[in-house]
Amino acid sequence: MTRSRALLIAVLVAAGPALLGATARADSPLPQRTTGLAVKGGQLLISVGLQDLFGPAERQHLTSGFSTRILIRVALQDATVEEGEPLALAVQRAEIVYDIWDERFSVRVTRGLGAELRAIAPTAEEAIWRATALWQFPIADTSRLPPGGRYVVLVRGDLNPISEDLLKDVRRWLVQPARGQRRLGAGDSFFGSFVSIFVNPRIEDSERQVRFVSQPFALPAPLPPAPPLPVTRSGAGAGKARP
Amino acid sequence: MAAPRAPAILLLSVIVSAGLLRASAARADEEPPPREDVEEAAAAAVAFPDQRFGPRYVIDEVLVKGNSKTERSIIVAEAAALGLVQGAAVDASDPRVEAVRYRLLALGYFLDVRLSVTRGASRGGVVLVVEVEERGTLVINELFPSTSAATAFWGGTDISETNFLGRGINLGGGFVGSTTPVVAGAHAGLGLRLRAAVPPIGGPYGLSLAVTGLYNDGSEFYRVSGADDDPDPKNFIATRVKRAGGIVGVGKDFRSRVHLRLDFREEALKAQLPTSPSMMPVDFMIKDGSSRVGSVTASAEFDTRSDPILPRSGMRVALALEAASGLVGSSYDYVKTTIEGAFYRPMPRGHALGFHLFVGGIAGDAPYFDRFFIGDLNLLLPRRALGINFSTLPSRNLLDTSIAHHRYDQYAARALVEYAIPIWRRRGFIYGGDAFIGVGLLGVASPGDFIPPGESGLRSLPIDLTGDLGLRLDTYVGIFTISIANALSRTSF
Repeated sequence: MTRSRALLIAVLVAAGPALLGATARADSPLPQRTTGLAVKGGQLLISVGLQDLFGPAERQHLTSGFSTRILIRVALQDATVEEGEPLALAVQRAEIVYDIWDERFSVRVTRGLGAELRAIAPTAEEAIWRATALWQFPIADTSRLPPGGRYVVLVRGDLNPISEDLLKDVRRWLVQPARGQRRLGAGDSFFGSFVSIFVNPRIEDSERQVRFVSQPFALPAPLPPAPPLPVTRSGAGAGKARP
Repeated sequence: MAAPRAPAILLLSVIVSAGLLRASAARADEEPPPREDVEEAAAAAVAFPDQRFGPRYVIDEVLVKGNSKTERSIIVAEAAALGLVQGAAVDASDPRVEAVRYRLLALGYFLDVRLSVTRGASRGGVVLVVEVEERGTLVINELFPSTSAATAFWGGTDISETNFLGRGINLGGGFVGSTTPVVAGAHAGLGLRLRAAVPPIGGPYGLSLAVTGLYNDGSEFYRVSGADDDPDPKNFIATRVKRAGGIVGVGKDFRSRVHLRLDFREEALKAQLPTSPSMMPVDFMIKDGSSRVGSVTASAEFDTRSDPILPRSGMRVALALEAASGLVGSSYDYVKTTIEGAFYRPMPRGHALGFHLFVGGIAGDAPYFDRFFIGDLNLLLPRRALGINFSTLPSRNLLDTSIAHHRYDQYAARALVEYAIPIWRRRGFIYGGDAFIGVGLLGVASPGDFIPPGESGLRSLPIDLTGDLGLRLDTYVGIFTISIANALSRTSF
């Protein structure tokens, strides 16, 4: 018995460094994406695109005739605190539907609890741009941010997100396809089990994700007031600014 | 190394390893910071006031593509279960479309499922196209390659085909074979299992029927000499027991994450019992010659774990009650109750704390293979393969108690605490990996031997430490556990 105890302890001690080596490879920072920043009307605004949320397969599915949903979540953080609480949060949700008879896309977008904006897009590119571009997207009231601070914006975009409950169910169904013949008492956990080999497709909480962090920044100076509109000879108004 | 110091050293090693793991993996979780409030904010803010968006269609026809193996009728039935049938109206943003997609994924036969529409005969009419990408449905449930002082080699596997003939039938089987153990009177072991289960009738929440056939021809080992902690096979004699029979069961999943089962079991037994070479009486825990086991088992399971492989929250509780009686043709009358629980709690930085509990008791006279075996409870010992034991190794006795005396018992309990640290997430071939450490206490007993003569205090209690340390990997080709307990239990001398 003494021999087996010594063996056990030796293996335990030997395994420690192996695990430590594995953990050391785990950390990976989010990619940085240059993000437009502005202060307007007391609001911190960002402008950045998430068009890469759509790959070739996702663009193809866009014409399925059924809706495609996009959820973009934005968090403002103090850049000097490595993993602090978000200072502000904002959300944009969009939905795209392709009309198979009219061959055009309908897009609707809401920012937080704001009003719903609808548009018609003749091409997939325009529909994706309308649904995924954050253009002068308000994320925080500047009066609530300490002056002189440095910040970063964390952005996460999800394509067709699914609820947490549904995600759990799908994972369980795929891992335990033989649920009809489960036997209790066999220990439905992987403690002590060595292996279970099967085609195990990756199931995420959305079909595709894009995550990035903005460049660190200090609060930009407020945008100057808009210049007076040029007066045309005919007296007609100028064109609308892009939304 | 003095034996009494070993438990302390083991505990110290475990604690130090856990501390180092925690420190080194502090930044392992690549989720953006505190997300709970982000999720809540998102959930509150993202819903459109008007769920309906886009045109409304009328389904002219349902077309299935990509199903080279799976019967079309199985796929169409899942869509029909939610009303997506010929003549039905469906909105472009209808939530039933996504629900059908996940119902089909839930069958376990497909890697991906896509629903789309194409123009029908007239404006407004559409062909609903269900395109599936079939997955491999062969599952290797377990591998049994091991060796011990008593049995030079035993090996085998357990495999299932979850979509047999494309009809959703789950057909599985397992086998294990061994060399002849070096125990007096022992025979080479052979275990066979054949299982079949039909898909739940009426969809995922219908009744599921399953049948299992079993055949075992193996030996069990009984000590006739030597100290309790001496695993030398020369100290043991062996029986030869043949088992043939099967289980017929019916089960049902509920939306509330509850699963209920009822199983009927019948087995014919034939035991050849040896004569003890010493005056030491041996309880073989089985009747000599022919006998039968017949039982009814009712079981319930409640599972809310966030993930079946790498859980971070939720729980799994399972209760089973098996009654064997002459009323169902059994030569053995007993009632066996087991309760299992696993509770997970999320910790900072994506870590998880788990508590695993097991309690079981048998009232009556159960055959040895239905009693609680020390190797099934202690992670550091060889488990039985398809119900056959191939080792004479006693419990490790890390607390220097009376545990070494115990092999098959009528009462058992185990409590484990597990701490898991994420190592990988979303990295190509390996989706996720956790380093885990588990430490716990187990105890077994039978009536009359709680306090052996001449013993008192801790030494008299049939308890032991158990634990494990290793990596659990969730990969594209399945789940792998690389751990100390796995290594020790498969090369146990």
